[in-house]
Amino acid sequence: MEDSTQESPATATATATANTYTFDSPHPVYAMAFSSLPAPTPPLLALGSFIEGYANRVDVVTLDEDARSLRPEPSLSFDHPYPPTKLMFHPRPLPNSSTSLLASSAEFLRLWQVNSSSVVVRSILSNSKSSDFCAPLTSFDWNDAEPRRIVTSSIDTTCTVWDIERGVIETQLIAHDKEVYDIAWGEAGVFASVSADGSVRIFDLRDKEHSTIVYESPRPDTPLLRLAWNKADFRYMATILMDSNRVVIIDIRSPAAPVAELQRHRASVNAVAWAPQAARHICSAGDDGQALIWEVPAAGATVAPDGIDPALCYTAGAEINQLQWSAVHPDWIGIAFANKVQLLRV
Amino acid sequence: MCLAMAAGAQNPEELPEKHLRKQLAAAVRNIQWSYAIFWSISARQQGVLAWSDGYYNGDIKTRKTTQPTEFKADQMGLQRSEQLRELYESLSAGDSNQQSKRPFASLSPEDLTDTEWYYLVCMSFTFSPGQGLPGKAFASNQDIWLSNAQFADSKIFSRSLLAKSASIQTVVCIPFMDGVLELGTTESVLEDSTLIQQVTTSFWELPIPVCSEQSVSSPPLAEKDEDILCPDLEREIVDTMILDEHNLVADGQAPLEGGPTAFPFGSHSYASDRENELIQDQVEELQANICEEPDIDSPHDSSNECCPNQQANDSFRIEGLNGASQVHNGQLMDDEFSNGLHGSLNSSDCISQSFANPQRVLSFPMGERIKNHVLDSLQDGDFTKLISLDLQGEKSHYTKTIAAILRNSNQLASIQCFPCGSHESSFVVWKRSMNVPKPHSTISQKLVKKILVDTAWMHGGQPLKTQEENGLRNKVWKVEGDDANASHVLSERRRREKLNEKFLVLRSLVPSLSKVDKASILGDTIEYLKELQRKVEELESRRELGEFEARGTRKHPDVSERTSDNYGNKEIANGRKPSVNKRKACDMDEAEVEHHWVLPKDGPADVKVTVIEKEVLIEMHCPWRECLLLEIVDATSNLHLDPFSVQSSTVDDNLAVTIKAKFRGSVVASPGMIKRVLQRVVGKC
Repeated sequence: MEDSTQESPATATATATANTYTFDSPHPVYAMAFSSLPAPTPPLLALGSFIEGYANRVDVVTLDEDARSLRPEPSLSFDHPYPPTKLMFHPRPLPNSSTSLLASSAEFLRLWQVNSSSVVVRSILSNSKSSDFCAPLTSFDWNDAEPRRIVTSSIDTTCTVWDIERGVIETQLIAHDKEVYDIAWGEAGVFASVSADGSVRIFDLRDKEHSTIVYESPRPDTPLLRLAWNKADFRYMATILMDSNRVVIIDIRSPAAPVAELQRHRASVNAVAWAPQAARHICSAGDDGQALIWEVPAAGATVAPDGIDPALCYTAGAEINQLQWSAVHPDWIGIAFANKVQLLRV
Repeated sequence: MCLAMAAGAQNPEELPEKHLRKQLAAAVRNIQWSYAIFWSISARQQGVLAWSDGYYNGDIKTRKTTQPTEFKADQMGLQRSEQLRELYESLSAGDSNQQSKRPFASLSPEDLTDTEWYYLVCMSFTFSPGQGLPGKAFASNQDIWLSNAQFADSKIFSRSLLAKSASIQTVVCIPFMDGVLELGTTESVLEDSTLIQQVTTSFWELPIPVCSEQSVSSPPLAEKDEDILCPDLEREIVDTMILDEHNLVADGQAPLEGGPTAFPFGSHSYASDRENELIQDQVEELQANICEEPDIDSPHDSSNECCPNQQANDSFRIEGLNGASQVHNGQLMDDEFSNGLHGSLNSSDCISQSFANPQRVLSFPMGERIKNHVLDSLQDGDFTKLISLDLQGEKSHYTKTIAAILRNSNQLASIQCFPCGSHESSFVVWKRSMNVPKPHSTISQKLVKKILVDTAWMHGGQPLKTQEENGLRNKVWKVEGDDANASHVLSERRRREKLNEKFLVLRSLVPSLSKVDKASILGDTIEYLKELQRKVEELESRRELGEFEARGTRKHPDVSERTSDNYGNKEIANGRKPSVNKRKACDMDEAEVEHHWVLPKDGPADVKVTVIEKEVLIEMHCPWRECLLLEIVDATSNLHLDPFSVQSSTVDDNLAVTIKAKFRGSVVASPGMIKRVLQRVVGKC
């Protein structure tokens, strides 16, 4: 193995400096998910490689605070067809269960069963009737309140609600005029999506005929790339625009006019995540290599004329592509830039 | 202003606590403020100021009664205060079990006005000496008058947000009887020492005979520092937090005379204690302020506000108020505090030390500098708003320090909000001046766009058949309910199909294809194009050599053969024949190649139109009807075509026509247009 030119995850090094833990992946990383197993289980991350083509990997790393490193779990690494566009663990793992479910989206939605030392594919959920082509899925979200539901978004303009227990499609909607780029659940039967058509729409499964547009990008047809719905306060969601340094905060009670626009990034924003437990804190990361934590002003609060300053800042030194805030370990934020993954303590 | 306060006098032998409430009632009603609270050292918690009793004199939402007499109103007020207390107790006891507890209280939370709610929530507060408004008054043994309480910094007045919701604008804390008497009103009342005097007097002389509108006495001025820095500066009261009764107004508008005798209590009883207070105490203050906040949210508070958020809000507002001065001083303070701020958590200590020590300015190394700076600002006239009443060096420092804290308080608040524990954060406090390296890549959102937008790579490579190889085919669930999804336009799929179709066309055009995959097709096409270029060059060089006969061969013998090529038609895929034809085509003059000369069969009529320079070959197959041929010829004529050869035959009611025509004049109809016109002719019956 020594003469092998290709790095395997096991040889990847993990380093740490003062509450910042770095994992050097053998490939660029895009998708990333925190496990939902609460403490005392240490934070665990699934990392999806981004290699243009078929052969991709999902690696799993655990935080080892004693060894001060992010320790790869080679037995849990597995091959993934195409780069996963998103990874997510089952939001409500069974207590004391040694297995958990991991979902991934690429050309299909896949469910993987993560055992203590192996990963097996549980199911592959395909949107398309024809077997040969399936429009790539851009994202998905797992419903917290009803974990049997996963909703996927696709570049074919549709959103699909899956019942993963039965493996059937519950609903499929033409959600937007153009590609749907991201999707997020609100409450049990409500989800929102963003699209290349520049709108944020809210869908209620009880009334599938209608959707509500809660925001439209200022210049029409500026695509909205990412969406984050505040799970601690469903009034708020955040979205980012293509080629923009702004994070737009929307209050769904007052559509159209955003509550705030956070624009202290020096380059485009790539990712955004709400604090899992504080209602008005949000973290954003962008091409300026910074991860910024903001406090969104409460409704009605006066905002300084030149905008809102972030509270905290972390500088990674390279474009940060991905950002996740652990729901069960809220003091940890994960970021991915280039071949590196870092765990940051908040 | 003066009201008859008879209630208490009638039963002088009441229980002490009842009496206290009546005293409070007398005091607050005397000045017609909204509430009075007496904070005293808690019996349960050593050394902490807790709610002892209070009297609510503000607006009442339900059971609002207009009482004919003041006497009755007073009774009502006492009853209301009692009910509020009961409600608080039932709520705090019934944390987990509100529904069952509620009936015990005669009021429910829905019955309360905002001000009552504020009053109620105040009951949950405790203050250690030096902390919060009552704590500070207690520790310093000095009155504190807070105007614009709703805008006050939460570190000074921890209930400022609550106050805002209740529209409480003025709060006064008077150290009193081993405790602190707090009074509040929804009005904005400027500091008035006579008022305080009046309150304390009425407190003791329960049945107040007459209220002297202008009491001569004023609060104690004993320890007034003499170093007034800017004696001739104009004073501005607006928007100021009056932090200490002690601050003398320099312009002498209200020349206050020291009158400690007016106070029945030794106003200096805590003076020595205050001297002994260590910085540490003050440090605790800031932290305690933060810790104290959750009480606000206590079980019955429906608001979602998270505690540090409130602080941040408040500071925002104050920031607005103090904007000008802050900008002015920001830089200086920034430097002074930057050390502390960098350490995120540590910074709170650093700040609170300087912040909470107004009396100790001189021990601060920067005290002098700040003073000078203040003077500068004052001369510039920018600082009046902030300084207003506080012209002593200490006080300006205090104010300035607050300003400095406010600049950063939201950051501190955020830090506090997260469960940091003892660990140090990876994050640092954001500063505008931060140096951010330029992004390395010129393409913004490169990876995100690859994932979302430029997804062509995803299926460009290997086909999805690998699924089958993995033996997972059977596990792939297909969409159920075809009809539901049949209408869905799968644009991506269409795009790919189009792409594949085009590749097939390309493959049919290019000879000697070794493989059928896309890369090979492209490779062979490149080779083929090169070959064609070579031939073009060759032909041109031949023409230059004078072989003009080539022009004679213009009317190529294989024209008809070519016209039968229907590119884009399915039959192309069947064999290589079309591409063989194409090879011949390369012998033709470039002028011919330029023309888009082939159209596929379409519509009811099978029409082929071939244009070679000014000559047009039309081949048609269509159902026969009367006069059709005539109409066709007419139509071609209308298109400025001059038919010079027409062949037609009718087999089984099918008409086959071959027309050769020339364009008249320079107007040239496109083959598509000719075809459409002819199809229209055929189509109409």
